[in-house]
Amino acid sequence: MSKCQRQNYWRRILGHTFIRWGARLGLVWVGILSLISVFAPFLASSFPLLLSEQGEWYSPAMVYLQPMDVLLLIAFVSLLILLPWHLTLARKLMIFLALLGGGGLATYMVISPPKLVIYEQYRVAEQQGAYDWVIYAPIPYSPKDYQRDRGDTGLEAPLSQQQRHHWFGTEQNGADVLSRMIYASRIALGIGFIATSIAMVIGVIVGGLMGYFSGVVDILGMRLMEVFEAVPTLFLLLTFVAFFGRSLYIMMVIIGITSWPGYARYVRAEFLRLRKQDFVQAAEAAGLPLFSILFRHMLPNGMGPVLVAASFGVASAILAEATLSFLGLGLVDDPSWGEMLNQAVQSSRFNWWMAAFPGGAIFLTVFAYNLIGESLRDAIDPYLSKSN
Amino acid sequence: MLLSVKQLKIWFRNSDQPIKAVDDIHFEIDRGETFCLVGESGSGKSITALSIMRLLPQVALDTQSGEILFQTGEEEVIDLASLAEVEMRQVRGGRIAMIFQEPMSSLNPVFTIGEQILEAVKLHFPKLTESQAWERVMHSLHEVQLPDPETRVHSYPHQLSGGQRQRVMIAMAMACEPDLLIADEPTTALDVTVQGEILRLMKALQQRTGMAILFITHDFGVVSKIADRVAVMQRGKLVEVGETRQIIHRPVHQYTQSLIAALPENLARSQSHQTLNDQPPFIKLSQLEIHFPVRKGLFRRVVDKVRAVDGVDLDISKGQILALVGESGSGKTTLGRGILRLTEPTSGEVVFDNTDITNLSRSQLRRFRHNMQIIFQDPISSLNPRLSIASILTEPMKVHGMGESREERLELARELLQQVQMEEAALWRYPHEFSGGQRQRIGIARALSLKPSFIVCDEITSALDVSVQAEILKMLLELRRLYNLTLLFITHNIGVVEYVSDRTAVMYRGKIVEQGFTADIVNRPQHAYTQQLISAVPRVVF
Repeated sequence: MSKCQRQNYWRRILGHTFIRWGARLGLVWVGILSLISVFAPFLASSFPLLLSEQGEWYSPAMVYLQPMDVLLLIAFVSLLILLPWHLTLARKLMIFLALLGGGGLATYMVISPPKLVIYEQYRVAEQQGAYDWVIYAPIPYSPKDYQRDRGDTGLEAPLSQQQRHHWFGTEQNGADVLSRMIYASRIALGIGFIATSIAMVIGVIVGGLMGYFSGVVDILGMRLMEVFEAVPTLFLLLTFVAFFGRSLYIMMVIIGITSWPGYARYVRAEFLRLRKQDFVQAAEAAGLPLFSILFRHMLPNGMGPVLVAASFGVASAILAEATLSFLGLGLVDDPSWGEMLNQAVQSSRFNWWMAAFPGGAIFLTVFAYNLIGESLRDAIDPYLSKSN
Repeated sequence: MLLSVKQLKIWFRNSDQPIKAVDDIHFEIDRGETFCLVGESGSGKSITALSIMRLLPQVALDTQSGEILFQTGEEEVIDLASLAEVEMRQVRGGRIAMIFQEPMSSLNPVFTIGEQILEAVKLHFPKLTESQAWERVMHSLHEVQLPDPETRVHSYPHQLSGGQRQRVMIAMAMACEPDLLIADEPTTALDVTVQGEILRLMKALQQRTGMAILFITHDFGVVSKIADRVAVMQRGKLVEVGETRQIIHRPVHQYTQSLIAALPENLARSQSHQTLNDQPPFIKLSQLEIHFPVRKGLFRRVVDKVRAVDGVDLDISKGQILALVGESGSGKTTLGRGILRLTEPTSGEVVFDNTDITNLSRSQLRRFRHNMQIIFQDPISSLNPRLSIASILTEPMKVHGMGESREERLELARELLQQVQMEEAALWRYPHEFSGGQRQRIGIARALSLKPSFIVCDEITSALDVSVQAEILKMLLELRRLYNLTLLFITHNIGVVEYVSDRTAVMYRGKIVEQGFTADIVNRPQHAYTQQLISAVPRVVF
């Protein structure tokens, strides 16, 4: 047996997927976005990373760290630690979720950054010569560091001013576009992952039960799916925003619970096929419990199409959020790519830098997920893998 | 010489090292003779046939070397290996025709069979008028003895049975009066009785038209029935060529000898496991029925039912091997699964060692399952591709509380692998890394892992080569002796039945038509259907 054969199925599939340059580019882009969103407070912040005041070192950036920032860092570090471990995927996921839950609780209880935020504070103090030296983040502006009083409108084209470097310009309130885009990547990734995960969990459970039991369960499940498919996501979102105000979490949940029927259909079809396979019959003949038959013997064999659908689903969830924000129904104060596009259109003249950069980011992200999905589909396709 | 193949070599490039699919073979076929190419799977028989038709992918054609000389006229000889594609198209179908193993997938499902034969006729005889061509179509359908050809000519492939479809394929090949007919395992997918008819038909057609047949098969029974000369292939090489009688009775090459010796008819009989008749039955089926509802219409109403198993009474004594034989669709597999309640019986009862298992609840049944296991036909789909062999073997043990710890269960799994003659290292591998025979061994190990007293063996050797089949059967008999297992052995191979079983039951359309001691059934069949079945089995005459 050659070495390449001694791998399990998923490693082989992932190998086949990421041998294609399209999928690699997509993965690189998503990877860069994830890094950026985890380390956003150290990349774009009005607070100096480190300063020395009369010989004493002090890091305002750390002091002003929000609980969410810390939680993302915890998630990132625990992923780094867990990945090289030799554990089953399910166990890794359990440990990760436990760490995340515990970490989340701890951070929200322990960490309380100063309520009053004055972005000018350190810049003014530096100009007055209060510090020995100051190290700023690469983009020394926080996303909500509005500098309205600089000019007439606050709008500045990229690199138009000598004394202030705004790489991607500023929006009408004078906040740095690049900084806002960096923070907005959190929303884009978060909504994509969480909405798709919600849809996948519901879809896999419902579809799995439908496929395994078939008969009456199948018929009822089908009708339930048709009900959910008939609900137009965008209008439901609009209604919820009107009633409950704007919340990112409501958006995630709604996108999640309206898109699960797609996954359920895939899982149902796969389970109907697997149900008759000999190895499932063998598992049944061995008297294994239902849980093991469903989730150990059938699910891993039927996950392929679901994962392909999921990577396209992430892309469409990102687009849904962007659409909503573009319509002005997104989050109130937090930056999002769609909302930035909206701003580009709303001001009296067309500001290209506010359309091109966030628009480009949406395009690249959706494109990246589509590339990954497409490669994954090719890698799973048994007809293609037979020929090479 | 009609066809002479000289120094034919075909290589396939697989990642780094080339695979010699066909390695320097020579053979010749005369007009009017039947030449059989025999070998196990992967020996290169089909590749040889496809290369004569030049139907191989371009990758293989690039590496092909050697000559394939085909006589077209009195003195005229062409080399098919270097013929231009346009001329090759004339030869294909016109001079050399081919029929395949799977008649369903070789016919186009959207055209009637008449249209498909007509197209082939028109292509090769462009001068014929419409009515003449049609006459030829009808003539060829008459020739292959398709029942009621006037109406069948307008039917679609799915409306015909497997045997009828194969007749249509032969009609299509014969319509253009080829000089050479290449038949690639044409009867492997058919039932024995149908196989017998098709073989007789081919023989008759050959005598009438004088065409040559290149017949590819793995079945020595078929060989001894149809072949004039035989060539034995092993790993791309032709190891022996000769007259049929000589090859079967006095094989010269070691490989041919081992093939002939591995035939179930030739395996050394163990002392027959005589069981007393008055012993109480270990498994008792009474009036077992399994029906599948046929649902139609908007409300999925039950309009009809398929009586897969239709009132079966059967007793199996402890330690006995009962062979269940019958054609495809006779309900053997459904019966086997019904006994294990993998398919729910509609009515009747299954008494297993004084326990009526038809009335057990789901959870009771789950605890009871370790007593009875099943081994499947298809070694590919019977093992979960995502689990290592270790988890495949130990998970059932864990559920049934065998072994105290993981280490202990792994030790048990190692013992099991030893018993099925596999290495311990196999534990940490995944199913796709094993060959068909090895997977079947793992399937047996899995069935044994729960220490069952009864195992259903559902066609466990029909997907395997004869030599592997012989090893598996010997091993199974040894395991039976060791554990005093009771086996229900489902098969359609009479040779295997004779070798392995104590008693035999013959199943036909959901009913058991005859049962008794194997020797009696095979040598003195009483029921008309059994007689027909036994006589249709192609056997090697020694």
